[in-house]
Amino acid sequence: MSLPPVLRASVTPPELELIACQELVEIIPLIPMEKTAFIAGAYGPLRPPHRARIPIWMALNLKQKKKCHIIAPDWLSVEYLEAKIKDETTQTQFTELPFHFAEISRVLLDGATDDLQNPDKLRTLLQDLREARQAKARAGLQNLEHSSLRLSNLSAMEINEIRPFFIQAMAVLKQLHVPPK
Amino acid sequence: MEDDYFSIDAILAENQKIGCRFKIDIPDMGHVGGGGERDITTSNTLQLPIWMVYTVVLSDWADMIMPPAFGSKVRNALNAEPCSVRLAGLVGAGGLWYGFGRTIMEMLDEKREMSILLTNTFRKRLVEVIDQAQHFAALGPAGGVGPAGDSAQSFREGLDGTERELFVLAQEGSKRMKRWYEEGEKARR
Repeated sequence: MSLPPVLRASVTPPELELIACQELVEIIPLIPMEKTAFIAGAYGPLRPPHRARIPIWMALNLKQKKKCHIIAPDWLSVEYLEAKIKDETTQTQFTELPFHFAEISRVLLDGATDDLQNPDKLRTLLQDLREARQAKARAGLQNLEHSSLRLSNLSAMEINEIRPFFIQAMAVLKQLHVPPK
Repeated sequence: MEDDYFSIDAILAENQKIGCRFKIDIPDMGHVGGGGERDITTSNTLQLPIWMVYTVVLSDWADMIMPPAFGSKVRNALNAEPCSVRLAGLVGAGGLWYGFGRTIMEMLDEKREMSILLTNTFRKRLVEVIDQAQHFAALGPAGGVGPAGDSAQSFREGLDGTERELFVLAQEGSKRMKRWYEEGEKARR
């Protein structure tokens, strides 16, 4: 293959970000717009002050031009994340979070900071959550098997991060494995 | 480390010599061991390259002597603390300890024990490999000194080829994530 080795194993974080931006988010538009057809589908109409659901990439674009307010998803709040961190540190399993939570939270924290409540606190909480989950993935490494791996509720970004070396490590284990007679 | 004929790793893993104790006399073949002897005599021990060992052992002309890299001394050390054994030192620079072990395993009748030894060693060291890879990714391009000096550094130097590959993979992945998170921070300022 002509791809450089780093791109062969998995997609890059910016690519995941692009995929995550297809998810829908609620906005309060500040401009009216008719229902418009895009390649991904038709969105709108936007009628202020009624809420509308549009893809994140579009919301961010409108936001940049100050033509809408983004309403943060339910899970992107201090209380929700604090509860999740508590679950995360008390349970052995990964807690359930939106599949693209890492990407969405980052783009919203970057592009729509003023629409979020307490963004600095959110950032710290997300960082804590990420670290707690990383510690778990690391513990899972010890029990790595040659044939299968079960890590429920892992998010896209986390899977992507561990994919290259988990695959390689499992391939090695498979070579070393001899089935019991 | 696969069976693929064209796998460079498989070829490199076989770049080792194994001691063989001959059971029969073979006249005029002393040169295979590289010595000055003219004949191979019974209970002579010669260091043979792996490709020749296959034939010699399977034809029952000689017994394979377990190479020191997998001898009882190393086994005991691995059972005690896998992370403190320098695998690279056992098979020479750039060596593939696991690949070599696998080759040996293929020649044994009792494969299971060897498999358990290799698998356990790999699994226990893996966590440390990944930890250190992520640590170095976090340090950034400046690099610098590893954690807690000696033991970690000696572990890194003792990584075998397979583990080095994993180290690089994990480091690349972490770096990419770090870059992505930091890009966002830059955009904000």
